[in-house]
Amino acid sequence: MSRFRLLAGGQWNTRRRFHWFVGLVATVGVLVWSARAIELSPAELLRGLPWIFDFLSRMLPPNPAFFERLVKPALETIQIALWGTLFSVVMALPVCFLAARNLSPSPVVFQLTRQTLNGLRGINEIIFALIFVTAVGLGPFAGVLALSIHGAGMLGKFFAEAIEEIDAGPVEALRATGASPAMVVVFGVLPQVIPSWIAYTLYRFETNLRAGTILGIVGAGGIGFELYTSLKLFQYQDTASCVLVILVMVMGADYLSSKLRAQILAP
Amino acid sequence: MIEVRGLTKAYGEIEALRGVDLSVAVGEMCVVLGPSGAGKSTLLRCINRLTEPGAGEIVVGGRRAPRGRQELRELRRHIGMIFQDHNLVPRLSVLKNVLTGRIASMPQLAAALQLFPRVDVEIALRALERVALADRAADRADRLSGGQQQRVGIARALAQQPQVILADEPVASLDPKTARVVLDDLRRAAHELGIAVLCNLHQVEYALEFADRIVGICAGHVVFEGTPAQIDDSTLLRIYPDLTGGDAVALSTGAHEAFMDGILS
Repeated sequence: MSRFRLLAGGQWNTRRRFHWFVGLVATVGVLVWSARAIELSPAELLRGLPWIFDFLSRMLPPNPAFFERLVKPALETIQIALWGTLFSVVMALPVCFLAARNLSPSPVVFQLTRQTLNGLRGINEIIFALIFVTAVGLGPFAGVLALSIHGAGMLGKFFAEAIEEIDAGPVEALRATGASPAMVVVFGVLPQVIPSWIAYTLYRFETNLRAGTILGIVGAGGIGFELYTSLKLFQYQDTASCVLVILVMVMGADYLSSKLRAQILAP
Repeated sequence: MIEVRGLTKAYGEIEALRGVDLSVAVGEMCVVLGPSGAGKSTLLRCINRLTEPGAGEIVVGGRRAPRGRQELRELRRHIGMIFQDHNLVPRLSVLKNVLTGRIASMPQLAAALQLFPRVDVEIALRALERVALADRAADRADRLSGGQQQRVGIARALAQQPQVILADEPVASLDPKTARVVLDDLRRAAHELGIAVLCNLHQVEYALEFADRIVGICAGHVVFEGTPAQIDDSTLLRIYPDLTGGDAVALSTGAHEAFMDGILS
């Protein structure tokens, strides 16, 4: 008798072993197939290593004189993230009630709104940015619109899921008092979801700030434009300054928003 | 005040109520006694139409089956409900929870902006005084103990100034001492405010102690109706047919002792 007994995943029989074997072979097969397609090559990485170090050494030290030029684009990135977040909240709020299974007036409305949100969520900010740059022209406003639309899909789904997770008891109690549906939402639903809604919104701001740092690459404003240009001009020390500023912004936002979220979600 | 005649309700194949007749008078504390699954909850929920009743007739304070949502809300406005798990909104203050009992009769926009008519705040505070929790009005509801939360639930129902209160197993998750406080609050609401209280219980001794009248329900039928003094072994066996004779004797003797204790103390 062995001293150990394997309790992973229930009963093992021949049929299950066979299924697992097939699954394993298929997984490895797909991975190998993909590795070829993407030219995965440790040798290539080793050969390129000196160049990576060369590039890094050209970045160092960061150019301190460049920081001054980054103040405005960095602030612009934050401003884009702020308005992008605000617009997505404004768009998500009215829709989220329809996209929550427990409040939606009908399964058709639920599916329709949920799938629309999924669609908005499914398309990357950069793709939206490219579209809006074409529509409203180069500049930060295109970036704001891109973040708003993608963010509305994200927040709409998060908000709706928060509604689906509430305790149904208080809602029923309010219904039983004869309160109108609107009042049931205001006093039964909102108090239960608002803390997590705020937390999601703060998290969305963090994500928008990160996305905002690359919008400039497609001409949609923010610090990304400076980063991209410095690379194109081989000013790698300027690039390093950009990366540093981005790091400070993103980490600052992470820190602030996690502090705030902890405060809000505290019981 | 409450008149139920020939009420039936089926969930698919399962018949929860098979022709229930029942009436509760103004100022009467009527206890519905029966084992789990007897149909007690369904009966209560049919009265305020949280569950859509099957056949039969329900009249509450002269109001028959409501036509349309307006009439449904109007009906519910006059019926307070108390739930087993109190169903307070956890993050709202005790006072606001009680005020939710008045929302149906308030200016909606003002209420949504958290502006409440002074009259309604006054009614809510008086309701809290009745359950001796006025000093906790500003606390968040989830800071209170289970028994206190249930009493806030009673205050919320009282704030509706209802003709009828339905209490669905209000003490099922409370210790005996707290349970008696809650049931006493309910009985006083009936006797002092003239509210018709219909209260589901599964514990015989509480029913004997607090009810003016007991309706025994088993498998969707009314199998007993009378005063606590009329309850004996054979009636208990009708309400709880799974008990053996000996159990029933023990139950009723113990219950009668509890009842006498309650009277003497």
